[in-house]
Amino acid sequence: MKSWFKFNCASTLPLLALAVLTPTSSLTADESDSSLTAEESELFTEAYRDVPMPLEFRVEATPEGPVFADANGKTLYSWPQHKLRNGYSGEAKGSPACYDEVLTVTAGLMSPYPAGIKLPEIDSRLSCTDLWPPVLAEADAEEIGKWTVIQRRDATLQWAYDEQPLYLSIRDQQPGDVQGGSRRRYGGDSPAMRVPVGPPSLLPPGFAIKPTSIGRMLTSDKNESVYSFEGDTATSSACESKCLANWRPVVAPALARDQGEWSLFERSPGVLQWVFRGKPLYTHLRDQSSWSLEGSDSPGWHNVFTQDAPSYPESFTQQPSLAGNVLADSSGKTIYRYNCGEDTADQLACDHPDDTQVYRLAMCGAGDALKCLQHWPYLIAKDDEISTNRTWRIVLIDPLTGRFAAPDQDGAIRVWSYRDRPVTTFGGDNQPGDVNGGGTGEWRGQRNGLKAFWLRDDYMNGIL
Amino acid sequence: MNTLQRLASNLLVASAMISGGVHADQSMLRNRAIGYVMTDLFWSVYQTPGAIQECPQGFNDGPREQFEQLFPYHQALTVEETQLRQEIETWHPTTESDGFEFFQVEGGISWGVNLDGEVGLNDFVHPDGTPGIDNELYRAVGCIIGFRGPDGVEYIFQNKAIADERYNRLMIELTEVDDLENDDSVTVSVYRGLDRLLTDATGSKIVPGGTQRVDTRWGQKLIRQINAKIVDSKLITEPIPDLIIPWQNLNVPSTQLIRDARFVLDLTAQGATGLLAGYADVDTWYYQLIRNDSTHHLSNGQISGISLYKALRRLADAHPSLDTGENTAISTALDIKMTQVFISH
Repeated sequence: MKSWFKFNCASTLPLLALAVLTPTSSLTADESDSSLTAEESELFTEAYRDVPMPLEFRVEATPEGPVFADANGKTLYSWPQHKLRNGYSGEAKGSPACYDEVLTVTAGLMSPYPAGIKLPEIDSRLSCTDLWPPVLAEADAEEIGKWTVIQRRDATLQWAYDEQPLYLSIRDQQPGDVQGGSRRRYGGDSPAMRVPVGPPSLLPPGFAIKPTSIGRMLTSDKNESVYSFEGDTATSSACESKCLANWRPVVAPALARDQGEWSLFERSPGVLQWVFRGKPLYTHLRDQSSWSLEGSDSPGWHNVFTQDAPSYPESFTQQPSLAGNVLADSSGKTIYRYNCGEDTADQLACDHPDDTQVYRLAMCGAGDALKCLQHWPYLIAKDDEISTNRTWRIVLIDPLTGRFAAPDQDGAIRVWSYRDRPVTTFGGDNQPGDVNGGGTGEWRGQRNGLKAFWLRDDYMNGIL
Repeated sequence: MNTLQRLASNLLVASAMISGGVHADQSMLRNRAIGYVMTDLFWSVYQTPGAIQECPQGFNDGPREQFEQLFPYHQALTVEETQLRQEIETWHPTTESDGFEFFQVEGGISWGVNLDGEVGLNDFVHPDGTPGIDNELYRAVGCIIGFRGPDGVEYIFQNKAIADERYNRLMIELTEVDDLENDDSVTVSVYRGLDRLLTDATGSKIVPGGTQRVDTRWGQKLIRQINAKIVDSKLITEPIPDLIIPWQNLNVPSTQLIRDARFVLDLTAQGATGLLAGYADVDTWYYQLIRNDSTHHLSNGQISGISLYKALRRLADAHPSLDTGENTAISTALDIKMTQVFISH
């Protein structure tokens, strides 16, 4: 607890830093949209702890919260070690494992398929460092705080944070892009993911942040959702007597002090309650699971987020299903994301239009692009729709290859994408709320398959 | 107290205990209603020692064994020629032969119910001698290790999810009940519950007396209502045209669709045990299996989705497609256990 009071250099990102950004990616169907930066600037305001860092790096605001970036604003990623079915992938601390070698065979890290099978499209296959350039350090680089310099096997020097080697993603185009990876939790059967690295969030002890599809959710460190009530103010609570049978104030220790967006409310003599952004915080006694949204069903009560996810397109809808709310198109059909990671030592992703399409075509159409368009049709953007933000963009796709198309290419279609990966609906869904396609593909849709885009999870143990 | 007095006293105690037991049974009826929540659900598989009667040729191979036979020199082949070929066959199944002999059940005995009211040459005989048992799903899965108790992968994990996952919290409520032993007309409502199951102090044994709220929000489409009767403590429902069983495992919410579904349950005030029988929609059944369990999980039970799908289609025995005439559903029975709960509306 004591260390919490020492931090006096809380930072929120300078909004101007984002205001100068313009979408420049050649893959977007819309050449520009000046409203993008305004929305994102308003959203990405999570505070973080200033930590000592080399001068050549900075902090950028992103949908994943504050992240470290290089001098050009490009997000830094780590590749934490991850246990797979038949071994480990990713990097142990201090041990780079991503090199310029083009792998040619499978690793057999996932059962039941054995190691040694030839990988697809060997001739055009990229190496790990082609996709994930290491963040190299100069010979005279000075280590500071958790920033250290480690030596790669070719004797070059690489920056590491908390001993995890750092990389850039070639998928990121602009400052604040996090197209290369996410901080969202991934399961044991997912690939060993690349994860954006950033400074610690500015939270009092006892709190945590759960990255979700709907934003960065504030929770207790026991994964309980925390809520605020519309009737409260920073210095008053409308939740008394009977209300307290369902809502438990999040109390602070007697030595706690105000800081930044966090303050304290003495709800009774000697009892301090944490207040975030002017609202006292509570947990909901009737929540049935971790990271629950159930409490927000009570009028006036809301889950608390340090920052919301960028808004999805206006034409999209939310639909109730048997397991919670899913994102759907304007007609109510559930929206799905394709996930793909290869069974290789470098665990390269195969979910992006610039990656090999062999896996996706196999799963969605038995290798036939036309069948894919029947079973898993792309979500076509309406003529009058424009990209919503950098998370939800309209991209041009060649439907017969699945790859990005040039603006003047015959047959190209304008489709909605999430972080540059086109999203689809499923031909097997018949009515709003159907999620019949969820879990399709290898490893329940985690490695070469599709998962529904969930917005509310009442039954899946924090899958958002 | 002399001997006579002790005897009289003991008789009084015994009498009180007996009447107390009966009273306890009836006490679970509240406003002529009683609820039960599902705690166990298995695809019903009649097993003999060593499977000698039902599977004289042995058990079927699974994905791992089939892969080794198909691709003994996999190092010379590509991902497209091997792994993706098998995954395509799994996710885009056909009725064409895969080249492997499929061992289906050959014995004549099965658990189940006479669903069509007829006694056909292809029907099984119940272990109690009742003829006309319809359970073609058993014929398909009975010689696959993963579906057999006590340690088949589906037998263990799919059932474990029934109790562990609130998504799967299927309940029935009997109303208009005059007598739990014999009642010629009761109403049975099917709901999903919202709450965790009540357990004893170990946390593992589910006990009666818990409370479940009805899920009228997410689970509205699961609600069904039918007539039933109770004969000698056995509940027999009329067929439900389309019962949806919520069945989530490993965080993939999915369902089973059972047509003409009926419950046949032995009732007590503490629980209900018996069968849920009907015709499983073949495609729903198959995709529930492979969406909830990856090829890896299926391999652990030697379940080849590719081979099994062909058997399901071949053995399907009801609900012909209006387009093709091919049957779309397969007769089945599920072993089901339920525990008494108080249902809160």
